[in-house]
Amino acid sequence: MRSESIDNRLRLHQGAAAKGDTGQPGQVPGNRGEAAMAHEGMIYIHPAPVRVWHWINAFGFVLLILTGFQIRYAELLHLMPLRDAISLHNYVGFAVIADYFLWLVYYIGSGRIRIYIPDLRQVVTMALKQAVYYGYGYFIGRPNPHKMTPDDKFNAMQQQAYLVIMLLLLPAQMVTGVLLWKIKGYSEYINLLGGIKVVDTIHVLLFFFFTAFLMIHCYLATLGHTPLAHFKAMFTGYEEEH
Amino acid sequence: MLCCLWPLASPAIDNSECLDCHGDPSLTKESTDNILNMEITESLYVDEDRFNRSVHNINGITCVDCHSDIEELNYDEEVPHKKELKRVVCASCHEEAGQDFKNSVHMKMRTKGVTMTCYACHGYHYVRQMEGASVTERENSICLKCHNPYQFHQWLPSRSSHFSNVECVVCHAPDVPRHINLKIYDLVSNTYYDSNRLFKVLGIDFDQLMRTVDRNGDDVIDPAEFDNLVLLLKQKNIHPVFHAELVADISSIAHHVNRGTAQQTCQKCHSANSPYFNSVQVVFTRDDGTVDRYKVDRAVLETYYVNHFYLLGGTRMKLMDRIGLLILAGGACAVGLHLTARILTIPLRKKNEEETS
Repeated sequence: MRSESIDNRLRLHQGAAAKGDTGQPGQVPGNRGEAAMAHEGMIYIHPAPVRVWHWINAFGFVLLILTGFQIRYAELLHLMPLRDAISLHNYVGFAVIADYFLWLVYYIGSGRIRIYIPDLRQVVTMALKQAVYYGYGYFIGRPNPHKMTPDDKFNAMQQQAYLVIMLLLLPAQMVTGVLLWKIKGYSEYINLLGGIKVVDTIHVLLFFFFTAFLMIHCYLATLGHTPLAHFKAMFTGYEEEH
Repeated sequence: MLCCLWPLASPAIDNSECLDCHGDPSLTKESTDNILNMEITESLYVDEDRFNRSVHNINGITCVDCHSDIEELNYDEEVPHKKELKRVVCASCHEEAGQDFKNSVHMKMRTKGVTMTCYACHGYHYVRQMEGASVTERENSICLKCHNPYQFHQWLPSRSSHFSNVECVVCHAPDVPRHINLKIYDLVSNTYYDSNRLFKVLGIDFDQLMRTVDRNGDDVIDPAEFDNLVLLLKQKNIHPVFHAELVADISSIAHHVNRGTAQQTCQKCHSANSPYFNSVQVVFTRDDGTVDRYKVDRAVLETYYVNHFYLLGGTRMKLMDRIGLLILAGGACAVGLHLTARILTIPLRKKNEEETS
């Protein structure tokens, strides 16, 4: 996938050179075919396995959050019977766990996991720049300090957030979820962690965190050059270069 | 009341006289099993120690109070009383239970030719005081003698957790009053902490506990007083884990078990306003099997002291709800503020864009 994306960028630059435009990617010559024409001026950012993982994960998260609220607040919410909510929550939970391993195998197998690892020499400066952009620069129309490329997909804030989420918080949510699924069967492990209430507290706090994260994530996704640009890219794999 | 009335009506045959013969483990009689329709050798032995710990003996009920057709013992005979005694009718004392049993699937079995006797479930000579008994002890000694819960309940999520923390009749006799029993569990020995040992370590008598713990004198241990109880135990180097179980009151209504009436609506238990947790008690068992129960505020179930009992929704920690609300409000505010600023600054961005172009 990595070579595919690099090839694509090369192709775009070749197209730009053919047009005699050295600053911006240009039109792909006519003999390149329809597909290439469709992706003119675009960059292949999200390979297919990432998109499949992302949307299964997203759909799973929405279902887990809805059923999670139903399970915790059965006296307030009546979206579905509690028994169905628990069953659905369990099934979807395992689907999300399987999906996590798709992510893990793909990113570690392809070596692309390094896009999640921040450069320690620059991470503080870059994260501050990014925060200033989101809190001020964006409003006055300044360009995003981070330029998205397939090998440098995340800005410094994203890198830190996603690294903690994917390697710590999501696994913690999965482990506590599995323990709560079979309380009696895993009672020894639950006791080792300090009891069912400790396990439940971790699961519930992360549940609230992920719900808030989803709101912010969806909102930040609208900060592309058009509100739907990043959403489209997550379906097609291609981001427009800006 | 039974203790007062029965001795007046019973002849003066002491238990020890009965146990002279029935205390011999080899005492048997040849009999016919009505169900198997075959000759069997039936033991007539009564374990004196176990009988002495039984609820009947604790309440002063003697052998001849139940076997009331034994009026005198004639030691000249090989068997000093009638060889065939009348069947003991439990309902002659337990009238209410006898009435309530009539409204149960176990009574209705008689129409199919199967007679359920009281002692088929409860036993007779060794009926124990069950108020302080755990769910496992209660179920093992009654329902699980015949029923295998895993053959049914396929619809029930986390079956084994329910079976080990909720007594069968809590759901199967929906009218029965119920409460949460809190007991101190010793993780080292994997057993409930022996009450006598506990009070010995505390240096107080059973009767002094509430005077020590219930500082506001309302007869209920509230969360702050529970904190003090735990502190008191910790000062004596006891690190308590409180186990909670949902059990039925010892009440004759528990016999109201009928086909199709079991509680199957999860929300009845799994919601914050469930009445199933209104009554919470901490239970201490004395040497003689009697129990001391002290009322506890249900808010204690939400604390980390009762760390091994958590009912989805039902005993959830309200503190988590407040923290969760803060987290969600934080996320929503961040989005809302940014979106507002984003809308308000549209003219500014347009102006800057025009200037740049």
